[in-house]
Amino acid sequence: MPRPLYDVLSTLQPPQFTRKDNTKRAASNADQVLRVAIIGNPNTGKTTLFNALTGLRQHVGNFAGVTVERVEGSFRARDGRRVSVLDLPGSYSLSAGSPDEKIALDVLLGKSDDQWRPDVVLVVVDAAHLERNLFLASQVIELGVPVVVALNQIDVAESEGISIDIPELIYEIGVTVIPTVAKRGQGIAPLIDALFIAASLPASSRQFALPESAELALAPVCLLLEEFGLTRGAAEMEALRVLALDRTETHLVGVAGLTPAVALAVEQLKAAGFAPNRFESQVRYEWITGVASRVVTRANERASQVSHRIDAVVLHRVWGPLIFLLLMAVVFESVFTWANPLIDGIESALAFLGAKVGSLLPDGDLRSLLVDGVIGGVGSVLVFLPQIAILFGFIGVLEQSGYMARAAFLMDRVMRRVGLHGKSFIPMLSGYACAVPGIMATRTIEDPKDRLATIMVVPLMSCSARLPVYTLLIGAFVPAIHLWGFVGLQGLTMLSMYLLGTLAALAAAAVFKRTLLKGPVRPMILELPPYRMPSVRSLAVSVTQRCRLFVQRAGTVILSLSIVLWALATYPKQTADASLSLPAQQEAQLEHSVLGRIGHGIEPFVRPLGYDWKIGVSIAASFAAREVFVSTMSTIYGVGNADDDAVALGRRLREERAPETGKLVYTPLIAVGLMVFYVFALMCMSTIAVTVREAGGGKIGWGWAGLQFTYMLALAYGAAWIVYRGGLALGFGG
Amino acid sequence: MLENHSQQTKARSIALPTLQPPVTPVGSRVCALSACQSGSQATVVDIGCSPDEACRLRALGVCEGANISVIDARHCMVLDVRGTRLALGNALTSGITVHTGITRG
Repeated sequence: MPRPLYDVLSTLQPPQFTRKDNTKRAASNADQVLRVAIIGNPNTGKTTLFNALTGLRQHVGNFAGVTVERVEGSFRARDGRRVSVLDLPGSYSLSAGSPDEKIALDVLLGKSDDQWRPDVVLVVVDAAHLERNLFLASQVIELGVPVVVALNQIDVAESEGISIDIPELIYEIGVTVIPTVAKRGQGIAPLIDALFIAASLPASSRQFALPESAELALAPVCLLLEEFGLTRGAAEMEALRVLALDRTETHLVGVAGLTPAVALAVEQLKAAGFAPNRFESQVRYEWITGVASRVVTRANERASQVSHRIDAVVLHRVWGPLIFLLLMAVVFESVFTWANPLIDGIESALAFLGAKVGSLLPDGDLRSLLVDGVIGGVGSVLVFLPQIAILFGFIGVLEQSGYMARAAFLMDRVMRRVGLHGKSFIPMLSGYACAVPGIMATRTIEDPKDRLATIMVVPLMSCSARLPVYTLLIGAFVPAIHLWGFVGLQGLTMLSMYLLGTLAALAAAAVFKRTLLKGPVRPMILELPPYRMPSVRSLAVSVTQRCRLFVQRAGTVILSLSIVLWALATYPKQTADASLSLPAQQEAQLEHSVLGRIGHGIEPFVRPLGYDWKIGVSIAASFAAREVFVSTMSTIYGVGNADDDAVALGRRLREERAPETGKLVYTPLIAVGLMVFYVFALMCMSTIAVTVREAGGGKIGWGWAGLQFTYMLALAYGAAWIVYRGGLALGFGG
Repeated sequence: MLENHSQQTKARSIALPTLQPPVTPVGSRVCALSACQSGSQATVVDIGCSPDEACRLRALGVCEGANISVIDARHCMVLDVRGTRLALGNALTSGITVHTGITRG
């Protein structure tokens, strides 16, 4: 029985080069850090390999000045030497066509804003698609930085009858090649050894020669790029690459005389009989085809047929959309229902903690701050964790299995009509459960404008936090009558609220894509990777990373805002009237507090919508989280915990009359208006905090979050006003 | 061993196709990729998209001379190129000129 290819390495001796150059780069002892940049085509298992190398020792942020995610991890080799690994965005070639690609190029050229320069570049290559992957590898090899190639998913290649002669491949491409199966951790130890060895080797270089006439034509361009500070290899790579471009990319703007030099080179190449715009792809594929013919042996194409058969069903014109809808229903239902026991568990644990802390402290502001402000505030963050974990678990399975690309393909036509990419659909659907994981899920969208447009509209999808508000108002004001069969008016009203949010989200996306985020709708270019079994370890790492990120970043903002809101609802204090019941005392205190005064202050603004100050206070208090509306109303109307007695609160609302006029305060029209207000209003600190982070952080992030809050509030106010005033005009009563 | 390899490696000169128009085999027709039917085979003659999109396509293996199998032709086209499945939008497939009727090489 043939040995697996990843064992082949043991037959190879590590290359023993004498140190000629790069001695400064070599990590010779435990104090030095070896910096490794990982790059590779999408779907090569690059992130799985990164996770296998670094585990949970990862730091996620953004590259300086852009919204491109920057994931850096670290680990220690067996001898204690430390390695820092930067996971560059997945890319099919080195170019600056998108922010992701530009970042990768900048880092590899040593031109990135954060001054991170790799000692070694690890190129992850999919063994089953060697030819296509070698295009990027051939560009990286020319950059003048030591390179190691991880020939990943070698097991898949073997199962597909693909055999790769690794010693011959090392000879052909001139760099160390380590076969790996990242999802099972195979080949990782020799890969780490190879990274250290590579750092002390001479830098890799181009393995083919251009025709002499082409070399001569490109020489002046290379010279200019070298004078600009690029290494000779990087200059040669860039000189080839810029031939196909119709503009000077930003990282080359400072190269004096580049445009005329490139124009001259183009003319000379044409005169020599070449097509300059396709010259690079022609030379690289010519070389790659030769390498593949000497290195790769194909026994059959049996395994790849499995993916084709699955595609015949999941991309079928009828079955495809039905399977997609069924899968989405499972995801949606799971996020809604599977999370509930966990959420209940977290709430119980927090209630227990609050009671414990409360029992240890004397009654007073400190206890209130810790129990209501800190523990309550942290609790409002933690309850989202089960939904985030479940959603990202599903997203990970869909991505790693290869289905996510099919979903984007199926939804592309619908989403394209509003100017978005098919990949925007999953985050928008996730928004039904909770906008927070929905916004975080936009990271799968490559185009930054599409991604921002999606972030801006995801909170319009009716999330589970709106459900208590809808339930209270529909239960209290919409009659429980049946219209057709099992379809009732209450259910139809609920459905209308969900549809309203969805339509508004699509419309808002269309507006953003035609105004602030205007840009050409990028034509679909999507790789449909073969179906693969997801890696449990990689899934666990990525879900843990997302959860930790959420708690760390959003948690700090929410905790601060929770304390601010607690203070607004608590101060200034007034002496409690002992003759009143406890709920009445709470109502009096709330009315006397800053938040109560805000409620009175905004009463003139909410009056046109038919609301009184009490609704104003509830809306102001629910800025933290929409469901707070219900608990605030129950406090104001003194019916205790609304979760225990929503029916009592509903009855109380129906009976409430204005003291001055004696008219009913709440009517079905006002209830519908209020629901419409909550369909559109962004009353969720967690969402705002996550938008700030995902939209780029800092001033940029706050700017987008501010715009999101403002436009949704304007939409909410306008829609509620139209409902109320329109209803009055049509005679539905006020 | 690798050192020896490195010393032995001689950069091979690349034989390149030139600007001469590719010979269209007898019995094949030249058309836009978007006009191809499901199940047909085609060879790329020219990529007439924007430079950015053309670069992206070429990096994915859709370059002049590449053989393509059309798996599914609808609003977006599903293709098999160099063993990789790709979905391309109509805006791209209508800009790619191919000649059809050739079996895959």
